[in-house]
Amino acid sequence: MSELYFKRPMPHGGKLVERVITDRKIARKFLESCTRTKCPVYDIKPTLHYKRGVPVRNVYREIMSVCYGFFSPVEGSMTSAELESVLSKRRLLSGWVFPYPILFDISKEDYKALGVSEGDRLIIRLKGKPFAILDIEEIYEIDPEELANRTFGSPETNPEVVREKFDDKHPGWVIYRSHNPIILAGKYTIINEPIFKPPFDRFWLPPRKCREVMEQKGWRTAIAHQTRNVPHVGHEFLMKNAAYTGDVEPCHGILVNAIIGVKRRGDYPDEAILEAHEAVHKAGYIKPERHMVTYTLWDMRYGNPLESLLHGIIRQNMGCTHHMFGRDHAAVGEYYDKFATQILWLKGIPSYGFDKPVNEVEGGLLIRPQNMREFWYCPVCKEMAYSENCNHSKEKEKLSGSLIRGLVAEGVQPPVVIMRPEVFKVVVKWWKKFGYPFVNEKYVQWKEEELEVDLPDLD
Amino acid sequence: MEYILEVFLDDYRLSKIKGSPVENQIEAVFGGELKVLRVKVGEELKNEILKAFETARIDSRACITDTPVAFKRALFEEIAKQKSLGEGVVKAVLARIEEIKELAAKESEYLPPPDIETD
Ligand SMILES: [Zn+2]
Repeated sequence: MSELYFKRPMPHGGKLVERVITDRKIARKFLESCTRTKCPVYDIKPTLHYKRGVPVRNVYREIMSVCYGFFSPVEGSMTSAELESVLSKRRLLSGWVFPYPILFDISKEDYKALGVSEGDRLIIRLKGKPFAILDIEEIYEIDPEELANRTFGSPETNPEVVREKFDDKHPGWVIYRSHNPIILAGKYTIINEPIFKPPFDRFWLPPRKCREVMEQKGWRTAIAHQTRNVPHVGHEFLMKNAAYTGDVEPCHGILVNAIIGVKRRGDYPDEAILEAHEAVHKAGYIKPERHMVTYTLWDMRYGNPLESLLHGIIRQNMGCTHHMFGRDHAAVGEYYDKFATQILWLKGIPSYGFDKPVNEVEGGLLIRPQNMREFWYCPVCKEMAYSENCNHSKEKEKLSGSLIRGLVAEGVQPPVVIMRPEVFKVVVKWWKKFGYPFVNEKYVQWKEEELEVDLPDLD
Repeated sequence: MEYILEVFLDDYRLSKIKGSPVENQIEAVFGGELKVLRVKVGEELKNEILKAFETARIDSRACITDTPVAFKRALFEEIAKQKSLGEGVVKAVLARIEEIKELAAKESEYLPPPDIETD
């Protein structure tokens, strides 16, 4: 093959992690032997906000993302040495880049009641059914506040990109601050594959399967689009135009990968996000042959450059050659520099352990960044214009999330140049179901009880 | 200083002001695709609005945004009734403030979906 052609990158760490027992006979035997030896059993509980008591995370999403290989090469809940390595260098002990602590945390009371020790096998139940096992290698205690602070850094320790001290208004900081203090470290194995409920079922495409589909579709190159939003036309233009990168021709595919997990008030419901992206290709704005909608289970940490690292890892594992990054990537508030993600991918952030761009450091990523500015509507150009092309800065009309939310909330159908009617239809479909177009406390409560999955009987 | 309240218009709202003097004051943005009425208010009314709704804020274009939907609906109703974009419509809305606040409180639980066909 010509050197001009890009090859699909290997999974991060060299090999896809797959820790799911799919043969139900074997899984049943596994469970029987656990029951016979009286393995301790733990029922997953949602992580509750350390002050307000509302759900902010469910560890089941991390177990899924680890065991299906989205987070390769991570294989389970991190040991204390691995945690220290991630916090101080953003590297796993194996040397591969990884931005965030991945931990199985339980309360002191639960720890006492379980009576587990290192070397034990723990049966993890979800919705009252056996779900996974955790082979406990180490048990240690953390200080959640310290964990939260060190995970994100501070203006003092990370002056290149952190602008404000992280606090309880930052949802990612809150997630780590709300972790329980006892960590059970070790590898996860899913023994009972959950069944996704509609509409989640038709968008579930774990890395191994995703790579297979890309091969079938003949996608030599594919660019990933991160989303936690219903697409407006600005997003659509970002996708289409970023995809003009590629090797000797534009990217063959656009892989939309939504982050599905606990959302913030004012976001759109997960169900609407997935189906709205699907509407973009169903209605032909992008050919379905070239556009695929998928998701990853993860309660977003909103760590801007750190989150972009995780996004890069996930989508490299899924088989993408490129990843688009805009400004304020996975950001909330003013904690980070607007271009923190682009700084990480173009220059590096030494205080996070990257003295060079992430693609150039040892143990770094292979997926290529496509750093984009923004799109706005220009009445002079009469098109959705790229900010680095269009020089009509006085006439430009920006598409802002709050403008569109305002229209939607009032039930005013956004114009076609802002939001496609098919996309709006999806928003309204789920609005009718939930009685509300956006995420509110009621939706979060309902969603965290229901989750995206049900578990079949195993025993 | 002047502050702006934007009221977006869909076909239904357009039909409600058809033939009235406000129709001539419709501004078109996004290539003529989005029609908007702009109500201008002074310092005093702006402060009253900000005081009434804690979510409300002023954006970089001096627009008052993030007001409750109930407020914007009432604002359009008054425009359609008074056929004007003067401060009088805002005053009429603020005269109904208790009713609007009550509706706004329920807004975090429920918003009526638009009546369009969905799959
Ligand atoms: Zn222009």
